[in-house]
Amino acid sequence: MWRGDPAINSYVDDWVAPRMRSLYGVEVRAVEGQGAELVNALVTEREATGVRPGTASLVWINGETFAQMRRENLLAGPWTDHLPNTRLVDTASPIIGRDFEQDPAGFESPWGMVQFALIYDPARTPAPPRSIEMLARWIRSHPGRFTHDQQFTGMTFLKGVMYALSGGVETFQGGFDEGKYRVGRDRLLEWLKPLTPYFWRDGTTYPLDVAAMHRLFANGEIDFTMSNNQNEVVTKVRQGVLPPEARALVFDDGTIANAHYLGIPTNAPNAAGAMVLTDFLLSPEAQLEKLRTTVWGDGTVLNMAALPAPWPSRFETVMADAQALPRDVLAQRARPEVHPLYHARLLEDWRQAVRRGTP
Amino acid sequence: MTRGNAPAAIASLVLASPVVIGAAYSGLAAVGAVGAGADGLSGAALVHVLTSSVTWQGVAWTVATAGVATFLATAAAVVVAVRVRGSRTGRLLAVLPMGVPHVAAALAALLMLGQSGLLSRLARLAGLTAIPSDFPALVYDQAGVALVIASAWKEFPYLALTALAVLLTDAARLEEVARTLGATSTQAFWRITWPRVWLGTAPAALAAFAFLLGQYEMPALLAPSNPTALALLTYERSIDPMLARRAEAHVLALLALVISASIVILYARLQHRGQSESA
Repeated sequence: MWRGDPAINSYVDDWVAPRMRSLYGVEVRAVEGQGAELVNALVTEREATGVRPGTASLVWINGETFAQMRRENLLAGPWTDHLPNTRLVDTASPIIGRDFEQDPAGFESPWGMVQFALIYDPARTPAPPRSIEMLARWIRSHPGRFTHDQQFTGMTFLKGVMYALSGGVETFQGGFDEGKYRVGRDRLLEWLKPLTPYFWRDGTTYPLDVAAMHRLFANGEIDFTMSNNQNEVVTKVRQGVLPPEARALVFDDGTIANAHYLGIPTNAPNAAGAMVLTDFLLSPEAQLEKLRTTVWGDGTVLNMAALPAPWPSRFETVMADAQALPRDVLAQRARPEVHPLYHARLLEDWRQAVRRGTP
Repeated sequence: MTRGNAPAAIASLVLASPVVIGAAYSGLAAVGAVGAGADGLSGAALVHVLTSSVTWQGVAWTVATAGVATFLATAAAVVVAVRVRGSRTGRLLAVLPMGVPHVAAALAALLMLGQSGLLSRLARLAGLTAIPSDFPALVYDQAGVALVIASAWKEFPYLALTALAVLLTDAARLEEVARTLGATSTQAFWRITWPRVWLGTAPAALAAFAFLLGQYEMPALLAPSNPTALALLTYERSIDPMLARRAEAHVLALLALVISASIVILYARLQHRGQSESA
């Protein structure tokens, strides 16, 4: 799993692992490895050891990583229907039930849900832009104070802009369409072209990742940072990474929300233990703990209507956290992910046309 | 091969085996025979990487910044080694930064030289600047100023240690002999000490240069997005969402290996020629 956030590490190492040990006798040892790196690692293991057990029993994945693992036959399944707690999952939600438009088909189990948000400081930016159109005006009137990173979060931001400029997410739903992509991409590049000279460093360079964005924001070099988790601002303020006044902002146009999942590799050394762990992570107790902004602030994938009392009221209490964005606002503005190829193509074209400046 | 040098040959083979095995795997992955996204033999990744201006600009930028950093570190190491060779404290201070990890050195450079870093804040306090962007862009800049400074600073103690080792053994003895034979201190320095130190430090400088060519941590924290440093480009391709493009990472890794190996071979030839001429 990605080990880049102390809050997530602490949840897994200090809350989940001891309970798994005492309740089920399963030893949980979280190790570094995320997204694309997992695919490389599992392919290398397969080449090196064939069908013998590998090193990971459970992997944290979504979107393009899920697509790549399925393509390479690296995931075992279907298995998620065997878990008792799967019946509690909100599978009717378009964000949880489909992973970047792909049917999980029992090869991955939902774990959490997040939504993209900009992060700003009301003391520095008392009237932040509330839409993509307002953001463009804000960038022009505040030269050098806005940028985005070069990786997943930055591309999610740009994809959200592409949705907004192209009539909404519906335009891109229903699988990858080359024609629709090109129209959307060209609109996005037209939007970016006159704006990038007003970006941080005149748009000649971009922060490598969100950690670099957070650093620039905390040091006052830019006025917005961003996150794929609307609640990250709360955990990062608590960690002292972001200033205490920092707040999350979700555009009226909507922002992209997605779910993340857990998969079992075909060469898992302990597939049964992985299923027990996944089922525990889906339990109301584990999902509620994870939802707390004092812990991780990761959205739940459970259907409140399917939960026995008093769990729904407990979730409501945690979701009413004053520091977090209101649940109804998030739900109203959440836009689902589209086919993973949109992300991959946009990244490639952005690197060529914007980062390199050679359309 | 004689019986006498067989153990040396075996040892060399064992030492070189990780590189040979890694290069062989990368060679196969580069043509789509193995690895994630392998889709049958194809030269597409090879052609795409070698004909892309992104690759060559990244290579040129990486070689230039690594080269300048190595030159600065070597020159400083030699000068400092000559100056402090008689002082135990001086010698200790010269090699002290060796224990600092590269990533810590890069973070220190970021905190010192960034537009919101220590120098920028001092400039603001002195009334020289009003906002962070008034301070010159030394980090993430196309000239790679912070990267060169941090790399030179990090390689300096390693090179200083090597220069000191040469000075305190071989060169010191020869310098004494020259002095007893009537050479002035200036003559002894320029005719004996200087050439010995340069020659003795050159292999270490070469190793430092090869290391800087391939290192990831410092460019990740200090380099600009365009041109993209070779190590960043290689990592970027290795996690590309398009599985088919991951073969390009192996082509780039092999390219870095070819550049490093070429420099080592060039140095070996020059050294051999130098030894032949002096003989």
